[in-house]
Amino acid sequence: MFNRPRMHRSRPPLPGSASRRTVLWPFVISLTVVLMVSAVKQEDFKTCAQSGFCTRNRAYAELASGTPDWESPFRLDPTSLQLEDGVLTGDLIHAPTSSSSSAESGGALNAGYTIEVHLLDSDAVRVRMNERDPKRRRYDGLQKSVLVKPLVSSTQYDQLGRDEDGLFTINYGSRRQNSARIRFAPFQIEFLADGVSTLVLNEGGLLKIEAAQVWSDVADTRTRTPMERRLEQGMWSERFKDIIDTKPRGPESFGLDITFPDIEDVYGIPEHASSLSLKTTRGPGAQYNEPYRLYNLDVFEYEIDSPMALYGSIPFMLGHSKDKTAGVFWMNAAETWIDIEKIESTSGSSRRTTRTHWYSEAGVLDLFVFLGPTHRDIFKQYSSLVGTTALPQSFSIGYHQCRWNYISQKDVIEVDAGFETHEIPYDVLWLDIEHTNGKRYFTWDPKQFPDPFDMQLHLANKGRKMVTIIDPHIKMDRGYHISKEATDKSLFVMNNHLKPFDGWCWPGSSQWIDFENPRAKDWWASQFSYDRYKGSTNTLFTWNDMNEPSVFTGPEITLPKDAMHYNRVEHRSIHNIYGAMFHAATAQGLSTRNETLQRPFVLSRAFFAGSQRYGSVWTGDNKASWEHFEVAAPMLLTIGLAGLPFSGADVGGFFGDPEPELLTRWYQAGAFYPFFRAHAHLDSKRREPWLFGEPYTSQIRAAIRTRYSLLPFWYTLFQEASMDGVPIIRPMFFEFPSDEATYRMEDQFMVGEALLVKPVTTAGATQSEVYFAGNEKWFEFYDGQVKQGPGVQSVSSPAYKIPVYQRAGTIVPKRETPRRSSKEMENDPFTLVVALDSKGEAYGRLYLDDGESYEYSRGDYILREFKVQGSVLTSRSLNRQESETEWSFIRRYSSLKVERIVFQGLSEPVSRVVIDGRPTVVESWHDVAGKQHVVIVSRANLSIGQDWSVSLS
Amino acid sequence: MKTHSVCFPILATLALSAAVTIANVSNNNAPRGVSPSNAKLYVPDNVNNWSCLDGSKTIPFSAVNDDYCDCIDGSDEPGTSACGTGQFYCANIGHTPSNIKTSRVNDGVCDEECCDGSDEYDGQTQCPNVCEEVGATAREENDRIQSVQNEGARLRRGFIKHGKANKVLLTNELETLRSQVDHVQLALNDARDAANEAQEAYLEGSKSEREATRKQQLEPLIQEQTKRLKYASEVRDMLKLTLQSLKENHNKNFHDMAVKGTVSGFDDYIVAQGEKTETVEDDLATLSSDRQFDALMDETSVVLRDIGTLHDLLDGMKRDYNTEYNDEAVLAAVKVTDDFEITWDSSRLDFADVEHLVLPEELPVDSPEAEKFRDAMDSAQEVFNDASGKESKVQEGIRDIERKLNMDFGPDETFAQLVDNCFDFKDTEYTYSVCLFGDANQNSHSSTHLGKFSGWEGDNYDVQMYTGGAKCWNGPERSVKLVMSCGTTTEIVSVTEPEKCEYLFKLQTPAVCPIPEGEVDEQEHQQEQQQVEEGEEHTRKHDEL
Repeated sequence: MFNRPRMHRSRPPLPGSASRRTVLWPFVISLTVVLMVSAVKQEDFKTCAQSGFCTRNRAYAELASGTPDWESPFRLDPTSLQLEDGVLTGDLIHAPTSSSSSAESGGALNAGYTIEVHLLDSDAVRVRMNERDPKRRRYDGLQKSVLVKPLVSSTQYDQLGRDEDGLFTINYGSRRQNSARIRFAPFQIEFLADGVSTLVLNEGGLLKIEAAQVWSDVADTRTRTPMERRLEQGMWSERFKDIIDTKPRGPESFGLDITFPDIEDVYGIPEHASSLSLKTTRGPGAQYNEPYRLYNLDVFEYEIDSPMALYGSIPFMLGHSKDKTAGVFWMNAAETWIDIEKIESTSGSSRRTTRTHWYSEAGVLDLFVFLGPTHRDIFKQYSSLVGTTALPQSFSIGYHQCRWNYISQKDVIEVDAGFETHEIPYDVLWLDIEHTNGKRYFTWDPKQFPDPFDMQLHLANKGRKMVTIIDPHIKMDRGYHISKEATDKSLFVMNNHLKPFDGWCWPGSSQWIDFENPRAKDWWASQFSYDRYKGSTNTLFTWNDMNEPSVFTGPEITLPKDAMHYNRVEHRSIHNIYGAMFHAATAQGLSTRNETLQRPFVLSRAFFAGSQRYGSVWTGDNKASWEHFEVAAPMLLTIGLAGLPFSGADVGGFFGDPEPELLTRWYQAGAFYPFFRAHAHLDSKRREPWLFGEPYTSQIRAAIRTRYSLLPFWYTLFQEASMDGVPIIRPMFFEFPSDEATYRMEDQFMVGEALLVKPVTTAGATQSEVYFAGNEKWFEFYDGQVKQGPGVQSVSSPAYKIPVYQRAGTIVPKRETPRRSSKEMENDPFTLVVALDSKGEAYGRLYLDDGESYEYSRGDYILREFKVQGSVLTSRSLNRQESETEWSFIRRYSSLKVERIVFQGLSEPVSRVVIDGRPTVVESWHDVAGKQHVVIVSRANLSIGQDWSVSLS
Repeated sequence: MKTHSVCFPILATLALSAAVTIANVSNNNAPRGVSPSNAKLYVPDNVNNWSCLDGSKTIPFSAVNDDYCDCIDGSDEPGTSACGTGQFYCANIGHTPSNIKTSRVNDGVCDEECCDGSDEYDGQTQCPNVCEEVGATAREENDRIQSVQNEGARLRRGFIKHGKANKVLLTNELETLRSQVDHVQLALNDARDAANEAQEAYLEGSKSEREATRKQQLEPLIQEQTKRLKYASEVRDMLKLTLQSLKENHNKNFHDMAVKGTVSGFDDYIVAQGEKTETVEDDLATLSSDRQFDALMDETSVVLRDIGTLHDLLDGMKRDYNTEYNDEAVLAAVKVTDDFEITWDSSRLDFADVEHLVLPEELPVDSPEAEKFRDAMDSAQEVFNDASGKESKVQEGIRDIERKLNMDFGPDETFAQLVDNCFDFKDTEYTYSVCLFGDANQNSHSSTHLGKFSGWEGDNYDVQMYTGGAKCWNGPERSVKLVMSCGTTTEIVSVTEPEKCEYLFKLQTPAVCPIPEGEVDEQEHQQEQQQVEEGEEHTRKHDEL
């Protein structure tokens, strides 16, 4: 959903000019009117120069780079250092050197700071810096919402003390493979993995912590150079457009440079409509002029290839090169900007070094460093802090049909019938804001949706679900139960005068729930109980939109930074996590509304680190254009790399009308997004999959059916992600980490380890250039044609399919009966598609459970490992518990059959296939062009829940 | 008796086996999911093999319905979901047989199309046989539809009859009206000439008298306006001079963009001035007082516009010029601008507002002499009005009939009955209305035009389009798709907006009820006969007139 263009956005007349102009004649005025018409959407959002703390920190960086032999004015007091129970503490002193003295004139620095370095049991290291004695308490409450559990200190470390260079070193990790090497003056921490420098804090000397001060501290500012003025810009109040940020706490921003030595590519920090490998924003030849910005915003028709902030923020960055990899998580939910610069290596490496500069407006400096050693380890370490993706409701990885708006119950029934008639599977039908009674969430328009039970039942009979939208803006209306209760319980966000804040959103005058209030979450969750949310059933799930939050009348279309939350927390300090807190409360509501806990399904537009624990996200209000389609891949890959794997982009594009070819190509690619939903704007033409006629209907049907045939594979990937925190769709480099050719590849991606997907993002293209990584074969998904890696090859991509290849060495489980919905596939048999590598081996897994409850966490699931080795395919259980028979799911489903096994990539013809001792007739042929033999074992009749073997000879 | 006792068991066995054979033919011979008419396609060959229906493969007959998909076309699994692409036959005894996709076999859903529940036989889902019940309801519904259709067809025949008769009627009427055109046209022309003459006579007869009075009336206004024009012209010339001097004297080496902008703007102004064809007015004195006054007003507004433009140029420079250059020419121009801004306002006040120089009404000053002319003129005007009324009535009549005759009322003229009939539909918020073949609107406190009839969609004469309605904010022009279904009355049954600003009206009407085949011809024949008679009668009547 987007902001309906707002009437109040027209520019007000310039003061002073009006009275004089009356002297002249009416035609003069008509000229001015013409000038006012062209509106640039960028104007709604701040540039760095319009943001005080961004200007101040960037100016500091400029000062540093413009000062010869710049040294950080911070030093660590050696006598203060203490290392106890895995925590090193010490005093940090701000002592300006001659080179940095001019920067001190900012007057916003305190002399005394503390530093803490926590060695954690996950091999991660936490570094915190704060004022020793702040005049105003800084917000430090983020961990309760972000971290999944209390942190545990490591016991595996050795303190080496000071070496001859005066450096203080701690070795840590199970093999003591990692080191933190601390320099006192100027202050710096260098992290080494196996002795190799991998990540350095404050190497560039950009550490800066503004003291949270009171107005009387302000130094005399009469004579200032331009640089000094920039170093002090907007410390005490700041105007953007017509709205003034009152900044009652004054400046409290901080910044730090984080260097990735000899690592050229860094990834992450979503959400931006930008490239996978992040672009440079500083230094000679910088690709962007502006830093990457993290500030959750409702951006109307966002621009492509821009570091502008979008709906979500995850301050996690991964640096990766051929021989080292490192991650950093900057735990802060205030507005944050990140500059990226590539500089010459100091170690003599041919690779450049990436230096990043992070600065946030409020809170405390609190970051985590992950050294792997592999990128997979980093995801394990990072997700042990912020959580892995929750195992979703299994229906939610099917196809979702959405539009703003399906206008009535009858409309819903008709669209549902369209899917029946055209035999297109789908799982969920969505209702946007118009389904409510006057944009009061948790209600139904009584005329258009007179019987929501009946409507949901109609769909549920075919295994289908519904989703309704529930947004965080609450219509101001005493007669509306949500508004009344939240007012009575004082659960709304306040303005800077501590009066209830009211702003404008869909329902008109609205208020926002304050999730910083500890009572708000449970109260909000309780609204989802069936007796409160009238007309809801257990097949109704939720969509949280506009939760950046979007406030049409607010600065940058969001809540003012000086709005007040519970306990006098400024909105400024928690802005980026607001949407995730709302998402969390909604998810809690859905999981607790039944007698036994059920998994929620909630889609959210805003997100933060940890949002993966609550549900899925999507890339917001994109456009029906090839460019928006193309950028969806790097955006989703980036969101996945930041620990949030369950994401999608609106198939077809939200705004505008896609031509049928674009829509079809988008479905073909969207079938490989973790979250697969088509959505369309109110002003766009209807575009349900059958409306463009043939050949498009068949092509779209084929794309959606492909998704359904692979649901067992997808669900298994979700289970893996829920254990290891790895992305589900992965950049090529993730699977081929030492292949430098893949580091900036974003137009093709992997689904898990097994499938390579290349979206076709050019109109009329029927040939695609695909990069086949590695030295093994790749098998075309639909016809089994073989391509031999490595290298780029041109492959055909006719209108009815896009390039999808199965990687040698993998086994993909499928279900091939085309059913109406995922629910109806529960009893269907499986097909295993085996792609053997050059050693004749392959590996795959299959995970199954009831798809909706938490019984799996007690052991009621089926997890199988399939392995081909020495010409024998075996299936064995990976379940943790042994007592499988007591579980109802296992009991009911372990007799499901594997009916078909396809072996590809056999180097020799097969004369005999023996299943558990009995010989079997098979189909087989020699694929001469592909230099392989193929065998199909039909009627295999093997139980999914039992161990068995199939041997080929 | 004895014979009997021997024979009976044999007979009984025979009878029994016959019964079994019959049962086999009707049920067991066709594999599950195959309809009786397709049973012959599912017969094994002499070695007990069977070929996929597309001929792509031969498989053992035992592999038919063995829950494993062998054939590309899915034909080997008509009774299981293994292929999912074939048809599963539900006998639905008590209702109508139907085919469902085999992908819906054993999918846990009791398909409505399969009321006998035969689609779910794997024991996971129990589907009761509800065919008797469903069949009864369906038959009832069929009866209801049938009776609506019968009644609808009867009404539609009436529509058709009316439509055909009406067409003849209109054609005749058109002819009549056309024959009157020349006559009324002539009368109108005569009356117009007479009226013009009378008016000229009046004007001529009272001219000097009226002109004298008017002159007296406008004299002070003309004087005032002349003064204003003079002042404004001086101001304009002063500003022009200032700019001209700025242009010539400013220091070009400074490259002050503000100054340059103003100078080039001035150049543009001069060029534009040159392009304007000076309207050489007649000597003011020879004009009537009214035209004199108008000419002065026009001239003034041209000059004021010039002043506005010139001041804008100067003001633009004044705001942005570089004060450090101290270019005297620029400073002089700025000074002039400042002075102008201070004095112009107050001098404008002296002017009073132009808008307030309102032209007074002409006074009725007719002398008795003129009075006579005026009376003659008035009565000639009356005659003219009368003739004009008659003429336009005939023309309107022709237009209206032509419009109706040009309309596409369907091959049998069914819809003539409904032309210009209007229907309302009340929603909670709005009342929607459509006048068939006319306009559609949405009304609440105000009315929004949704579109004008633009034609039929498709060839079935049951969907009308109304297009070109009021434009939506940020969207298309509104339009209505009006879909008709058979009913015994004509009324709107629902209005929805499936896409923004594209409305869907559902209208029930006898006009689309199917007329049983065969009946049409007979009916038409009768009607044609009737119409010919009616037409003839009509013509006769007309002749008698």
